[in-house]
Amino acid sequence: MIGLVDVNNFYVSCERVFNPALEGKPIGVMSNNDGCVIARSAEMKAMEIPMGTPSFQLEGLRRRGEIHLLSSNYELYGDMSARLAQLLRDSCPEVAPYSIDEMFIYLDGFNDAQCQTLGEVLRRRIRRYLGLPVCVGLAPTHTLAKLANHAAKKQSHYQGVCLLTANSPTTAALLKQLPVSDVWGVGRRIAERLAVSGIHTAWELRACDPKQLRKRFSVVLARTALELGGTPCLEMNALEQPRQRIMTSRSFGKATSLKADLHAALRRHAQRSAEKLRQQKSLTRAVLLFLTTNRHRKDQPQLSPSAMIPLTSPSDDTRIILEAVREGLEQMYRPGFKFVKAGVMLLDLVDAQQYQLSLLQSSTKAHPHLMNTIDTINKRMGQGTIRFGMTDAEAPWQLRCAHRSNRYTTCWDELMEAGTHPGAIAAARVKHEQQRLARAQHWVQSRV
Amino acid sequence: MPSQPAYFATTIPATTIPATTMSATTMSATTMAATALPLTSQPLPFPSLYGRAGFSGFPSPAQDYEPRTLDLNERLIKHPTHTFYLTATGDSMEGWGIFEGDLLVVDRSIPPRLGHILVAMVDEEVLIKRYALYQGTPHLCSAHPHYPPLPLEETNCQLWGVVRAVVHEYLP
Repeated sequence: MIGLVDVNNFYVSCERVFNPALEGKPIGVMSNNDGCVIARSAEMKAMEIPMGTPSFQLEGLRRRGEIHLLSSNYELYGDMSARLAQLLRDSCPEVAPYSIDEMFIYLDGFNDAQCQTLGEVLRRRIRRYLGLPVCVGLAPTHTLAKLANHAAKKQSHYQGVCLLTANSPTTAALLKQLPVSDVWGVGRRIAERLAVSGIHTAWELRACDPKQLRKRFSVVLARTALELGGTPCLEMNALEQPRQRIMTSRSFGKATSLKADLHAALRRHAQRSAEKLRQQKSLTRAVLLFLTTNRHRKDQPQLSPSAMIPLTSPSDDTRIILEAVREGLEQMYRPGFKFVKAGVMLLDLVDAQQYQLSLLQSSTKAHPHLMNTIDTINKRMGQGTIRFGMTDAEAPWQLRCAHRSNRYTTCWDELMEAGTHPGAIAAARVKHEQQRLARAQHWVQSRV
Repeated sequence: MPSQPAYFATTIPATTIPATTMSATTMSATTMAATALPLTSQPLPFPSLYGRAGFSGFPSPAQDYEPRTLDLNERLIKHPTHTFYLTATGDSMEGWGIFEGDLLVVDRSIPPRLGHILVAMVDEEVLIKRYALYQGTPHLCSAHPHYPPLPLEETNCQLWGVVRAVVHEYLP
């Protein structure tokens, strides 16, 4: 049996663990940079505010207090996700995180009844120990587990845990009403082509001959059909494999046309990329940089330049990558354009262990310990503790996160508060504010 | 070990030389012997006449006893995955040793029992209370006469976690 544990409205649920006042209210979490809504609570879904609604359109509702909008707090979500994975590892033989809020668990050797019980235990335990509501889907294959999870989430009579066997009538009924486009791994394009062939539901796809599907479509679709029939043929290893390219990019808080600002932003992304590169023990052979202007602003001149800098020899040294960044920016920068996004991509990666040195080259690393030391310090003391070049926290390219909640689990100064009596927290805030005002007044008086 | 002679000139505690580096020490010590470093206040006679020059200190009598430094985390945190830290605000739990600004180590997996100090959500507020019997029924109590015990039955409250430890720091 394979299980899929999925947290309901993960981002919103994380926020609610530490802020009980958000319980039962319409909550939205905004994308990086407060651009649009990327996660909604059930109450907000009920208000029919669609996913991806730009935040400025909801400003009125927010100001009237009808909804709450929060900036994304990835440190908190990442920590809660790691805790969830660990909790599952404590009670399951094997766990594979699939995304920040979905984890596959592998329950070989358990019978159906035991799986069902374990699913229920896990659901209760996660709710109590971490405060997160989850649904559990159990089935013989990944694709069916995904479907079971969906059923557990949408149909309340399952009470959050749904177990599907390959040939049960429930599975058949579910597959018959599931449009083929909603099947895991079937894209819109393929769904359209399938519709032409008269395949509209998951049930019809399951009935197809995998060999024919393989010939007419792809091996992936043939596997999906087999998986729907209960034959496991997907392996979860995509996350474990080292990536072929590494990209870090962000939108800016405010548009900027200053070269120094762009350089600082690119520098930060390059450092982060290099860190990821070393983590997967690869070397890069080329650095690609890009900038984009706001394409929604038709009144402004548009430009999306990019520059590719090949490295003389493969490297994972931040300094060499930063040198390429400097060179690339020099090449692609044009004054007078308001850029809103910058990115750094490391391409053409090779395995650091297996790479063969060229005749003229003595080593891939000039200082193997320096980068290790920087990574270790940054891991222990927090990202960006040691960095190359100065960064200005007020720079326009820094992320906008005006409504971010506290980093309750990763920052000593931002812990959740517990009052010893009703009103204690509010009283402390008032006192704090008064002290701050008094200090400010004192400062002003000392100047006059 | 080019930088070590100066260090060797002073007396060193035996424990600072790990057993694995011993052979390396004797090797470089042969070269060091030419400079005739004073090992103690009295110089050694004819150090180069010995087959092995230099010295290697005494093996620590404690080396067979697995050294393990105590870790406060281990003592205060039994379940790292479901332990959270909170800060206490307010003065009405001082009677039970919880002061303003104290760090609470809260474990969410402990089932609450009478006598435990709890973090609970009462009317959308996060409160620290002691779970105890008052007039024979379970109440959420505080240590201050201004705040009478809340009867559990009639209160809209939800358990958040059980306080396992309180850390009170005397110095900043």
